[in-house]
Amino acid sequence: MNREPFELNTGISNMKDLMASDLSPYHAIYLGNPFCRDYEANFLEELEDLRAGIRHCQGVGCKAYLTTYAAPRNYFLPQIRRAIAVAAEEGVAAVEAHNLGVVRILHAEFPGLPIHIGGFANVYTDTGAAVLRDYGAARVTPNYELSLEEIEGMAENTGLELEILLHGKMPLGISDYCFLLEYEKEWGMKCPDLCQQDLYLRQGEWAMKSVGKGVLSGRDICMLEHLPRLVAAGLHSFRVEAISEDPGYRRDIGQVYREALEQALGDAYQIRGDWWKRIQGHAKVGLCNGFYFGQSGQLYVGSQPSAGSGETSASPRPELGPKGSVEPLSRAVSSQLRVIS
Amino acid sequence: MLKVQGTLLAPAGSVEAAKAGLQAGADAVYVGLKGWSRGGARGELTPAELQEVLLLARERGATVELALNTIPRGPEVDFLLKRLKELREWGIAGVILNDPGIIARIHRCYPDLPLTASIGCGAINVDDVALLEEIGASCIVLPGTLHPAEIAEIRPHAKARIEVMIHMVDEFHQLGKCWMPSYYRTNPAPMPEMPADGERLTGSIKRGGAGVCFRVCQHPWDVYLDGEKRDERMLPARQVSRAFEVGAYLHAGADVIKLQGRSLPVEMLFGLVRRFRRAIDHARNGHQVVELPPYELPRQWVVLGR
Repeated sequence: MNREPFELNTGISNMKDLMASDLSPYHAIYLGNPFCRDYEANFLEELEDLRAGIRHCQGVGCKAYLTTYAAPRNYFLPQIRRAIAVAAEEGVAAVEAHNLGVVRILHAEFPGLPIHIGGFANVYTDTGAAVLRDYGAARVTPNYELSLEEIEGMAENTGLELEILLHGKMPLGISDYCFLLEYEKEWGMKCPDLCQQDLYLRQGEWAMKSVGKGVLSGRDICMLEHLPRLVAAGLHSFRVEAISEDPGYRRDIGQVYREALEQALGDAYQIRGDWWKRIQGHAKVGLCNGFYFGQSGQLYVGSQPSAGSGETSASPRPELGPKGSVEPLSRAVSSQLRVIS
Repeated sequence: MLKVQGTLLAPAGSVEAAKAGLQAGADAVYVGLKGWSRGGARGELTPAELQEVLLLARERGATVELALNTIPRGPEVDFLLKRLKELREWGIAGVILNDPGIIARIHRCYPDLPLTASIGCGAINVDDVALLEEIGASCIVLPGTLHPAEIAEIRPHAKARIEVMIHMVDEFHQLGKCWMPSYYRTNPAPMPEMPADGERLTGSIKRGGAGVCFRVCQHPWDVYLDGEKRDERMLPARQVSRAFEVGAYLHAGADVIKLQGRSLPVEMLFGLVRRFRRAIDHARNGHQVVELPPYELPRQWVVLGR
């Protein structure tokens, strides 16, 4: 079967969100919420929904993938096994594992089921990727802290297919504890509604989006200006991170990148004004490039004007000089560097 | 009741700290080597200091584990492999590493060298431990946030030593799964020891070399709901210090009780190690730990007081 020239995919947590989403821009959908078992009707817990969700994706011509929990304790594992078994029965195209233990389970108990390694799996090195290849990984999302240069090197050195976050809020960590539960009484809202609200943590210009058991970058990673480089590097699989977004975001951003990637594969790549308008309309805090240019994750490199309250720089390609340095968050932070051992 | 053993592994960010830890009863200490450890520049030893600590430990019948737990990049790995040959000859008991790929590669080069999968490898379940063991780790560190019952579930499936860090800061994000500091700021800096191109990435907890995070979780954040400020708070974190549960962990199958704190001042470290020494001795003798000398971490060290 001929492979698509690129794959654009995204993540959806539950059936309600799946049915409300226009999947037409996407080639594949990761089903399930990797952050929390209590997320409303999480596909990973509602296995009949998972069956129906996989069939729905397949019915509209999308590949269905299953994602799994990012930080599973022992007592999660039986449910993860059940979800994988259901997904395998329904012909899911791959299972994403963020956790080494889940990789091992997939390799040992579900041979033949393609494994995608997720961004929480901490793949920083070529040798790390190679270890996971030996456990059956077909695709790897390198850790978000890697630069494009390092990602390109990893692709070349390992021969593995790599997936990268193309647009959306970058996960910044995973927690055992949901602090939003502390607000149930005060806000008159209960789990699982709390983490689906529009929730930001702010300090001055700096912002992060809370999803309860973790935070995401406040700014949306945006690689629209850099698609030709990504395509030229041979990267093929691109994620729109929309697990915490509404269907409108998923549709608009997906459509922009579907069109833009098709154009980037051709000879002339020109960014259309309406693409920017749609992207900026969804970037509440602004845009950034994550760590792709070897600098702090919240800076934006490119020529476009800022979106929202975000600041952009006009430098076309950053140097790695004394670099990465941005204005301190606050005097308090910079004066209180602490050390973890 | 079954007799338990239990090794007490104490942190040491300096020669003085190692001395204090050993005097307080540690069976082993772990130290960082300048440039290669997450312990932070202030908590790392020069090669000469490492040799001094090795000597001190040998005199007391104790051992030294070396934390090389940043994640080195391409050419840095080759340099590390060469460096390890010499370090082994100095008599280190093992190496603490933070990346499955590096573990696998070092294991292939030095199959007899004991390798510990650092807490940053993120092992929290039975299959995590099994995979890390399969690729060459002979010891796996688990966080003290796991209960003794979870250790007991893991134990029968692992040949590797199980090390539990039962004195640690439980940050909002799990150790090894946090990129908040580098999202805020990344400061590349030349790396000590490296011949060329070696770089620390301060701000990245995993790759920092300096291991410095900016403790962004421990500063006040405004919480906005639907665009409206609703609260000001820090992200939740707590000090885990389970001296009273040492026996339960050892009976569950933990081999090593590990204490976090390479940045601890010497005088504080002595008291902390002493406390856990007593707890282990009680457990070894089959006694319930009902009395331990009062010990309170000063507020400036406890995470919430930082």
